[in-house]
Amino acid sequence: MIQDVLLELSTGFLKTIEIFFFTLLGALPLGLLISFGSMSKIKPIKAVVSCFVWIIRGTPLMLQLIVIYFGPGLLFGNNIWGNKMEGRFLAVLVAFIINYSCYFSEIYRGGIESIPIGQYEAGEVLGLSKSQIFFKIVLLQVVKRIVPPMGNEIITLIKDTSLARVIAVVEIIYAGERFIKSSGIIWPLFLTGVFYLVFCGIVTILLKRFEKRLSYFR
Amino acid sequence: MAFLEINNLHKSFGRHEVLKGISFSLEKGEVLSIIGSSGGGKTTLLRCLNFLEIPSQGTISVNGNTIFDAQNPLSENEIRKNRLHFGLVFQQFNLFPQYTVEGNISLAPKLLKKYSEEELKRKTDSLITRVGLTDKRDFYPHQLSGGQQQRVAIARTLAMEPDILCFDEPTSALDPELTGEVLSVIKSLKSKDNTMVIVTHEMDFAREVSDKIIFIDDGLIAEEGTPEEVFYNPKNERTKRFLSLSNL
Repeated sequence: MIQDVLLELSTGFLKTIEIFFFTLLGALPLGLLISFGSMSKIKPIKAVVSCFVWIIRGTPLMLQLIVIYFGPGLLFGNNIWGNKMEGRFLAVLVAFIINYSCYFSEIYRGGIESIPIGQYEAGEVLGLSKSQIFFKIVLLQVVKRIVPPMGNEIITLIKDTSLARVIAVVEIIYAGERFIKSSGIIWPLFLTGVFYLVFCGIVTILLKRFEKRLSYFR
Repeated sequence: MAFLEINNLHKSFGRHEVLKGISFSLEKGEVLSIIGSSGGGKTTLLRCLNFLEIPSQGTISVNGNTIFDAQNPLSENEIRKNRLHFGLVFQQFNLFPQYTVEGNISLAPKLLKKYSEEELKRKTDSLITRVGLTDKRDFYPHQLSGGQQQRVAIARTLAMEPDILCFDEPTSALDPELTGEVLSVIKSLKSKDNTMVIVTHEMDFAREVSDKIIFIDDGLIAEEGTPEEVFYNPKNERTKRFLSLSNL
């Protein structure tokens, strides 16, 4: 029995890690792009992007998942995600990446706006281009400042992955819960908590290490 | 034609005119100090020379070439190129915190491929020696005193070999006991090759190091001359009052 449970939970946990990993992979760069949009000097771009961020941050991720998965089918009679597991998984990733990139974009924006204007001006008078100033001077300082708030979001993401079950993507909670119906036992569901704890612990240690590696400057 | 010629420079922010027509010229190797009360436009003038602000009117020419004319706005690339005639040392140093002393000095020349690798190494070494920081080359800015940081900032500016070196109140952010080391570095730069424009409140220093003094008041040059003329025989009432208040 215990072997069955562990096998099922591990398979579910693999899905959890996949959602976590691919969301970060997509949302970290997309968030930066969105933050540029929300800081744009072109008013219409700024307005549209800020409004989008407001909507995404102002509604539950669970609702966004449902809208993204069922919306196209219900609204246009065209279920772009298909009926297979892969389609649902893809829908989860799209929803998570959109949601998290909006949260990340606000963290990036805060970080970028906290860099003193003198850093840009010093780069400018030395003849550097805008992109040289951003990538060679500003970016690392931004990264250093945003590691703590980013770490918070990343830890939240680990647990948010459990929302994938609302469109029947079998992540670890779903896998654990199924034992209630199939075998009448609830402890596998409780056991999932241990998986989360260990994973969050590892990520926390990695984040601390990263923070420490950036502590050589102020 | 003089090495640096500023002609009828104006700068407005919205409806507020900060510079109301500044003209002066400077020969190569001369040191000009700009004095005057806060809000008079001294810093704005320096920022215009470095294109951190774009003048609304007027021309700037260096070595006989007009590098700025408000009537023909420059593209971003031209600004980047033309501003290299000037270097600027900031009041707040603005060192890059994630780079060492050496990294701060060599970053811009490296990115702009100004020297070969070997040349850059030699150049950086000599600049570090010149500002007296040989034992600090691998230190990060936060490990240095304010005076040391400002010396690094000076070396960083020199690394791009600007024709005209500008200082914006280089000692105003420093504790009194640290101003001396920065001022003596600036003094040591005075030579036939280094043309300098210094905005300062250090009157003794200005009198000692300058070939020429400009007193700016309310966006205009109120008085201009040698240190002797301006400090000991000012003609303008505002200059007299300003100097008497700066307890010379």
